[in-house]
Amino acid sequence: MSEARPESQSAVPSEGRSVGGWFLYALGFYNPISWIGWLARVWVRQFGLGPFSFVILNAVRNQRRATLTVLSVASSCALLVTLLTLQRELTVPPESEGASLRIIARNKVSLAQPLPAKQLSIVERIPGVVAVSPFTFFGGNYKGEEMTSFAQFAVDPARFRGLLVEGRISDGSYDDFIRDRNSCFVGADTMKRYHLKIGDRMKFTGTFYPVDLDLRIAAVFQGTVDDRGVFFHHKLLDELTGDPGTVGTWYLRVASAEVSNDVIARVNKAFENSSAEVRAETERAFQMGFISMLGNVKVLTLSISAVVVFTLMLVTVSTMSMAIRERFRELAILKALGYRRRELFSFILAESFGLAALGAVVGIGGAWAVWTFVDLQRLTNGFLVYFEVTVRTMAWGAAVAATLGILAAIGPSVAVARMSVVEGLRTLD
Amino acid sequence: MEAPIVVIRDLSKIYRQGEVQVTALNRVSLQISAGEFVVLMGPSGSGKSTLLHIIAGIDRASSGEVRVQGINVANLDESQLADWRNQNVGFVFQSFNLIPVLTAHENVELPLLLTALGRRERRQQVDLALNLVGLGDRGHHRPDQMSGGQQQRVAIARALVTDPALIVADEPTGNLDARSAHDVLGILQSLSRDAGKTVLMVTHDPKAAVFGTRELHLEKGELARDLVQE
Repeated sequence: MSEARPESQSAVPSEGRSVGGWFLYALGFYNPISWIGWLARVWVRQFGLGPFSFVILNAVRNQRRATLTVLSVASSCALLVTLLTLQRELTVPPESEGASLRIIARNKVSLAQPLPAKQLSIVERIPGVVAVSPFTFFGGNYKGEEMTSFAQFAVDPARFRGLLVEGRISDGSYDDFIRDRNSCFVGADTMKRYHLKIGDRMKFTGTFYPVDLDLRIAAVFQGTVDDRGVFFHHKLLDELTGDPGTVGTWYLRVASAEVSNDVIARVNKAFENSSAEVRAETERAFQMGFISMLGNVKVLTLSISAVVVFTLMLVTVSTMSMAIRERFRELAILKALGYRRRELFSFILAESFGLAALGAVVGIGGAWAVWTFVDLQRLTNGFLVYFEVTVRTMAWGAAVAATLGILAAIGPSVAVARMSVVEGLRTLD
Repeated sequence: MEAPIVVIRDLSKIYRQGEVQVTALNRVSLQISAGEFVVLMGPSGSGKSTLLHIIAGIDRASSGEVRVQGINVANLDESQLADWRNQNVGFVFQSFNLIPVLTAHENVELPLLLTALGRRERRQQVDLALNLVGLGDRGHHRPDQMSGGQQQRVAIARALVTDPALIVADEPTGNLDARSAHDVLGILQSLSRDAGKTVLMVTHDPKAAVFGTRELHLEKGELARDLVQE
């Protein structure tokens, strides 16, 4: 037996329909909410009326309101997931296999204070250290860009080779990089982004250092957690800056993760009470410290997320209150027919939860699809690299939507529970 | 005379609004026998709807006793009262009060969802009730696809689908034209006369009152006249 379609779908469009009318007609026809109502009706026709189908029919009875509610929840969930993902991107550096084996030693006073280059001979003799290289942040701007999205570091190429645990040389020759003091070692993402090839030159304008660089690309690396960096000879930097005999930090590789803490303690102790005490820490701890210099991004994003969640709650509670208030009389009739408070609460809860869940699926699914398939690295000039919507983030979004769906049902349920049948019947008389 | 199905003793209902007290019912006592079609009449504010609501278990008395089929309604808690209403009372209201998203069949089926009946049994009961009110062929129509008279007949079908002993109707013809009102009153009369249901109806309309077997006139919360129709 065929089932009558919803009015908006079954209505034959009249010839005199205006452009706006056609738009609304199309909106009704393609609106998934109307299809849900239609499916519920088919279900009832086939399997009879039950609490579940009753809830669905009620939830989608006002298609415009249901659609707007679902879209509100969806957009809020999408925004929430986006903010949480952004926070993760900015505050949680990507983990890599080699990170547990690498240690960075910086000046104990601050990262901005250099360390004496002569410390190298002491550091490399510490038991457990397999490789060590100077590692100085140059912070130049490439090709006159106001903000270059990839970092440049001065290293000792021969020693730096021992620090490369993951990744591979995808083009050019690392030996060529070692041999030529004016060459550089570039990440594949940067090569791709600027359409560079081996032999091309990269010019940087110094921001921290009052010198500029003109480097020839000798080799390309790929397969690390961040294939953007540019590495060049520390000797070149020394030469350009008048050989001050300093380095920014020391970059160490230890024999195994087990000796990592021991090496950190030894490095710190080695320069205790010297004029340049050091603070050694794992690469990850160093990255976290570096991130903290960006400001309290976490508090900022969490604050915005809280506002989003609060707004979401207001929207959902307001909508559910309106939906229930409109039906006070019907709920009073149900009470008169013998429906108890808990059954009415179940109806309201299921309706509220259902709309919130649908909104969550649309919003979280949409955010996942957009951030998975859009090349954000290109769109943001490399500011955002991974922007991975994790299962954990999606679970947070879903949990917030579900909680709000439940919270939104409480107010109207209490109002209905307190309402006597007689009061309810008088409501709209 | 049948045994009394409703026994009311010294029933009072007082509404308190701040300092003001309004006595809606003042020590009303009466008995209603099974199968009677009792018409409650009186001016606005006389307490007739309040009396109907208390007997039907959707309002509480301030004092006095209301026994329906031997059960003291005042002693039931909210949950018990809901079950009791589902099994023993059928409601018909002035404004039909059907659920707009449900068809006539589904509206009539609503009270049965609370029972242990299976889908097939529910369908049989609903079809029987709709046939009784002459709407056996309109079960798949929604309320907005039916006239007021038809909607009220659906409401009557919903009231009797659980086979309750008592049917209460609060001005059931108030929103109907004369023809539809006559049909609805005829159905209620038939339920009382032929099916043995006890019908309790509030109305302002003297023409509607003639369908009943007994008229109770309330004035200022007190029972003024108790007339048995010829």
